Amino acid sequence: MVELKNVSYKTILCDISLSIDEGDYVAIIGPNGGGKSTLLKLILKRLKKDKGDISLFSTPQEHFKAYNKIGYVAQNSVQIDTNFPATVEEIILTGLAYKRSFFTKITNNELQYMQHLMHTFDILEIKNRPIGDLSGGQRQRVMITRALLNQPKLLILDEPNAGIDEESQKRFYTLLNTLNKIEQLTIVFVTHDLGRLKEDVNKVFHINKVLC
Amino acid sequence: MEMFEYTFMINALMAGSIIAVLASMFGMFVVVKRYAMLSDTLAHVSLLGVAIGFLLNISTIYSAIIVALGVSLVIEYIRNYKAVYSDSILAIFLSSSLALAIVIVSVSNSFNSSLFDYLFGSIVAVSREDIVSILLFAALSLIFMGNNYQKMLLISFDEDLAYSSGIRVRFLNIMFVSLVAIMIGLSIKIIGALLIGALMIIPVSAAILFKQGFFITWVIALSMAVFSVITGLTLSFYVALPSGATIVLLTLILFCLSYLYKKLI
Repeated sequence: MVELKNVSYKTILCDISLSIDEGDYVAIIGPNGGGKSTLLKLILKRLKKDKGDISLFSTPQEHFKAYNKIGYVAQNSVQIDTNFPATVEEIILTGLAYKRSFFTKITNNELQYMQHLMHTFDILEIKNRPIGDLSGGQRQRVMITRALLNQPKLLILDEPNAGIDEESQKRFYTLLNTLNKIEQLTIVFVTHDLGRLKEDVNKVFHINKVLC
Repeated sequence: MEMFEYTFMINALMAGSIIAVLASMFGMFVVVKRYAMLSDTLAHVSLLGVAIGFLLNISTIYSAIIVALGVSLVIEYIRNYKAVYSDSILAIFLSSSLALAIVIVSVSNSFNSSLFDYLFGSIVAVSREDIVSILLFAALSLIFMGNNYQKMLLISFDEDLAYSSGIRVRFLNIMFVSLVAIMIGLSIKIIGALLIGALMIIPVSAAILFKQGFFITWVIALSMAVFSVITGLTLSFYVALPSGATIVLLTLILFCLSYLYKKLI
């Protein structure tokens, strides 16, 4: 599903090779500033690698266009602009932004799936509330719902637990485990602390630029 | 009503209302992207275009649009390069374009009442041709924004998230600043270069205080902008007040009322 061969980027990542297969639940761990987020940005083509090969869904990254197959929850998703004028539902619907236009309206199936996701993540009742009024845990669930709305094959989460209380974190791990085991969703979870995640994952990659 | 007996007032009301719709629509994205200075910068750049128009004795509206459009693309290019802070880029272009406009005006000795109209707006300056141009541009803008509404919302909310969703962020940003530049170039004759920024920013800032969704916030901002334009033009007709300044002061009053409402409720 995701394959990196001898990928290097500046002095942050050197000769990284790794393989993520369908159905994997992967933890990418390492110290702060160790290059974990850089690795994700290379996979998501937000940064340009200096050397090596990256392939996504068996396609060389240079030719890969189907980013709708990847759901992404960014590192700073909890620390948003609290004055941003948008409701929870409006933010979740941006998960379909890449294909929305005058001629491609949201379908009934997509609407039903969104309701199902909001129900699963317990945010159905707050769908009309401003995104800035939510707690960190609620925002986290909104952002993951947004990432899943497109029914991706791969879900990438970049330290999504920063600033989240213990109770919300537990609930979050349980939901991710269900998505991986029941829905067969491939998950890549970036964290600086493996913690409770070690019970759920089947692969761990340790990234540390000190090894460069 | 007496004012409807005058063609110039009907023209001004039509053009002003369309500009209010566009200003609030573009203003929504400009404000939430923390890019509020863009409107003021492009307004000053448009003034440089007007000065060039006077110098070359060509249509000042078209010269204003061309210069604003060109500079907006340069601004977007430099912003994307990320070597200079966004607000610094805008400040550089704002001051330098104004300085250049003053030099051109003084060298060509073309500082006259017409240029004054471009600074503060003039309701009698709107022609039928201007209305046709504004209407055509409004139709194009509404089609573009309607077609890319979700994408623009995501870009404004989180540009990185938009990139990782496969959205052509750079292309949409370039299109957006180009449309803002054209709108400002078209509007300075009526609202004025020094005041158009306020029409884009103040109603949106007031509407955001109501803590609604994005679309509802735009509807509130649009209502405030259209109300300010119509009331401002009416007042300027009956009380002989300068139109652009009256419109902006009305938006300011609406902002203060919204702020008070938020504090009290």
